[in-house]
Amino acid sequence: MTAAHPLLSVRDLTVTVEDGDTPRTLLDTVSLDLNRGEILGLVGESGSGKSLFCRSLVGLLPSRSLKRTGGAVLLDGQDIAGASAVELQAIRGARIGMIFQNPTSHLDPVMRIGDQITEGIRFHQGLGGVEARTAALEIMAQVGFTDPPRQFSNYAHEFSGGMRQRAMIAIALACNPEILIADEPTTALDVTIQAQILTLLLEIRKARGLSIILITHDLGVVAQTCDRIAVMRHGRLIEVGEKRRILSAPAEAYTQALIASHPSMPAEVAPGRSPQSEIVSPRPRALVEIDDLHVRFPVGGGLLSRRKTFSAVGGVSLQILPGETVGIVGESGSGKSTLARAMLGLTPLSEGHVTFDGHSLSLKRAETLKALHSQAAMVFQDPYNSLNPRLTIGETLAEVLRVHRKVPDAAINARVGELLDLVELDRSFAARKPRSLSGGQCQRAGIARALAVEPRLIVADECIAALDVTIQAQIVALFRKLVATMELTLVFIAHDLAVVRSLCQRVVVMHHGRIVEEGPSDRVFSAPSQAYTANLIAAIPDIDPDRPLSGAPLSSPLTKGQPA
Amino acid sequence: MSAAALKSRPATLVTGLAILGAFVLVALLAPLIAPYDPIYQDAAARLQPPSFAHPFGTDNFGRDILSRVLYGARIDLQIALIGVAFPLVIGTVIGAFAGFFGGLIDTALMRLIDIILAFPFLVLMLSIIAILGPGLTSFYIAMALVGWVSYARLIRAQILVLKNSDYAMAAVSLGFSRLRILFRHLLPNAVAGSLVFSMSDAVLVLLSGAAISYLGLGVQPPMAEWGVMVAEGQSFVTQAWWITLFPGLSIVVLAFGFSMIGDALGELMGVNE
Repeated sequence: MTAAHPLLSVRDLTVTVEDGDTPRTLLDTVSLDLNRGEILGLVGESGSGKSLFCRSLVGLLPSRSLKRTGGAVLLDGQDIAGASAVELQAIRGARIGMIFQNPTSHLDPVMRIGDQITEGIRFHQGLGGVEARTAALEIMAQVGFTDPPRQFSNYAHEFSGGMRQRAMIAIALACNPEILIADEPTTALDVTIQAQILTLLLEIRKARGLSIILITHDLGVVAQTCDRIAVMRHGRLIEVGEKRRILSAPAEAYTQALIASHPSMPAEVAPGRSPQSEIVSPRPRALVEIDDLHVRFPVGGGLLSRRKTFSAVGGVSLQILPGETVGIVGESGSGKSTLARAMLGLTPLSEGHVTFDGHSLSLKRAETLKALHSQAAMVFQDPYNSLNPRLTIGETLAEVLRVHRKVPDAAINARVGELLDLVELDRSFAARKPRSLSGGQCQRAGIARALAVEPRLIVADECIAALDVTIQAQIVALFRKLVATMELTLVFIAHDLAVVRSLCQRVVVMHHGRIVEEGPSDRVFSAPSQAYTANLIAAIPDIDPDRPLSGAPLSSPLTKGQPA
Repeated sequence: MSAAALKSRPATLVTGLAILGAFVLVALLAPLIAPYDPIYQDAAARLQPPSFAHPFGTDNFGRDILSRVLYGARIDLQIALIGVAFPLVIGTVIGAFAGFFGGLIDTALMRLIDIILAFPFLVLMLSIIAILGPGLTSFYIAMALVGWVSYARLIRAQILVLKNSDYAMAAVSLGFSRLRILFRHLLPNAVAGSLVFSMSDAVLVLLSGAAISYLGLGVQPPMAEWGVMVAEGQSFVTQAWWITLFPGLSIVVLAFGFSMIGDALGELMGVNE
């Protein structure tokens, strides 16, 4: 790790944007070193400039109005900050490779994976067709493709998210770079896949002596993989140092806050009534009762082939008692969102029953829907997409109040104000449109809209997945407060197990459309009875670097489902 | 979005609006500012080149081209406005219902659109006008009958996407009525694209209005309309270029103004992003 001089040395890098007349500084004199074979974690919220920093290293500024106004980038002693476009092109890929957050949009959909890998090899290493193919197959095997000769001629859409990310890494490695910049490489992936990709990066580092800059907002990821950590905020590098030093004794207040908001920190006790009561004495009536629910969607099928169906939820039975906080966890594709939608009558049921407050959705649909509309509400994943962009927050809230005749027309404005108070938004937000809000503020507005119907049940579908960690912690705290102060039943769907653990009394683990395990959060997380749950929990990157990451691929659970 | 785009946006919009405004002003003030009666024939001053007395020259009947161009603005703006407004409204409503309700209505309407699109645009226009008889009213009716399909397709595609957005789902889960969801939540977000398109459509309408008049099926002589004037000047183009040039230029400049506004609207509403 100690070389004569660092492989990459950035000195006082400054980037400004020409925004109107006054230039704004986006990167403010950032100086950073990357040693040979080192993994450097670059953490910070969105907008802190961490991605911009990495892009400016290789001269890929996202807009013409952005300019590097100062500083030097020394790659192995040679300043590449002022290099010409041609010189930079030779550096990009060949010496500095990049992988991105969303492999789907960064892979060419109409080009075979193998060809995308060979392209770089041929361009940068000048190998012929056959040699390039051999080299590509070798790299594919190295990044964990199970059958490279066959997968060589597959297209991006034929792979899962995790395999696509492996393909991206293979493309980056194809040019044999010295430095790999990984921009949020695992953010779009499930925890178990994330663990595999991180393990892969560690292996590659070891095998090739690669230096890696890992951009992430998840300190758990950093703790598990990196040697050193650099913390960025508002375009400034505020703290940099050895991983253990930063995690155990952060000097800056912001770093301390960032660490404190990590959900794998010791869980707070979930709020609400004591969880034992439901086991000892069953309540007279569940608020939501799901009985052997199946939801199937038609997929594909053409003139000659028979129409097939995909079973998103296959035989789920679940009871949710009034006032309970239930977390539903599982990987993507496990059917948790479909279950949530079915619970609210938003998707047709194929089989089985959903009963809300005694009304059965399959028997008395209209009546049940009416009850659901006025007593249940949903909070969505994408905070921007869940609010009508043309309406102000106030108009959105007022409309709900007016349609449901919750308050007389004259009192609507006052009630809108109260709702904004409840979600801790300033009342002036009533006049603003979603576009001018941050993700966290939008999500609060979305929660306010859910609260406007004065619901007994709130279903939150991955509602923090799109937010930064510190904002996530705030939204979770808001939910905790709402649950504690109002007569609210909360169904909280997430793939982030640590958040569910800290918020929910009871947790339901789903896999392939079935419930794998169910029980009080404490019990499930401390002593999971199913291997699947145990693997899922082990895959969470812990902020404690001494608790190793489990990169083992998940096997299917032995028992399918468990009676509720 | 770059700062350059932010800066250039008002410039495009201002230029477009200025051009359109100038034409509207000219159309309104035509009787006041036109030096001659647009249909007055002065046999003594036939085919005169541009001069002080006739800045744009005169045509083969001795009519003042400048006055005819100024009066022509009235007809051509009317063509652009009515020729766009009816298809826009009809197409938006049909497209919105087709996209939102789907099923049989959607299938039927989409097949109808396929049929209309299967005919070349001008051929269909000419056949309808031929049935109704030449004249501007027939042109407007034909335009409404044929022109709505593009708007219907645009809106339908938008609604199909927006229907699956989370805010539509939220509205459903809150028990809002279907018409409320369609008209208050989906349609306002769907129209941006068609409004932008309507500006470039105005150019097309203007040109097809001119083409139809050129073929003698739209505006009837001696009424001043740019397309008619270009048609009339055609046989004299080697001796008297000014007869076709000035009305032709007017069409080009007005069309340019419309497309500038369309571009600016597109950026303002985030359609191109």
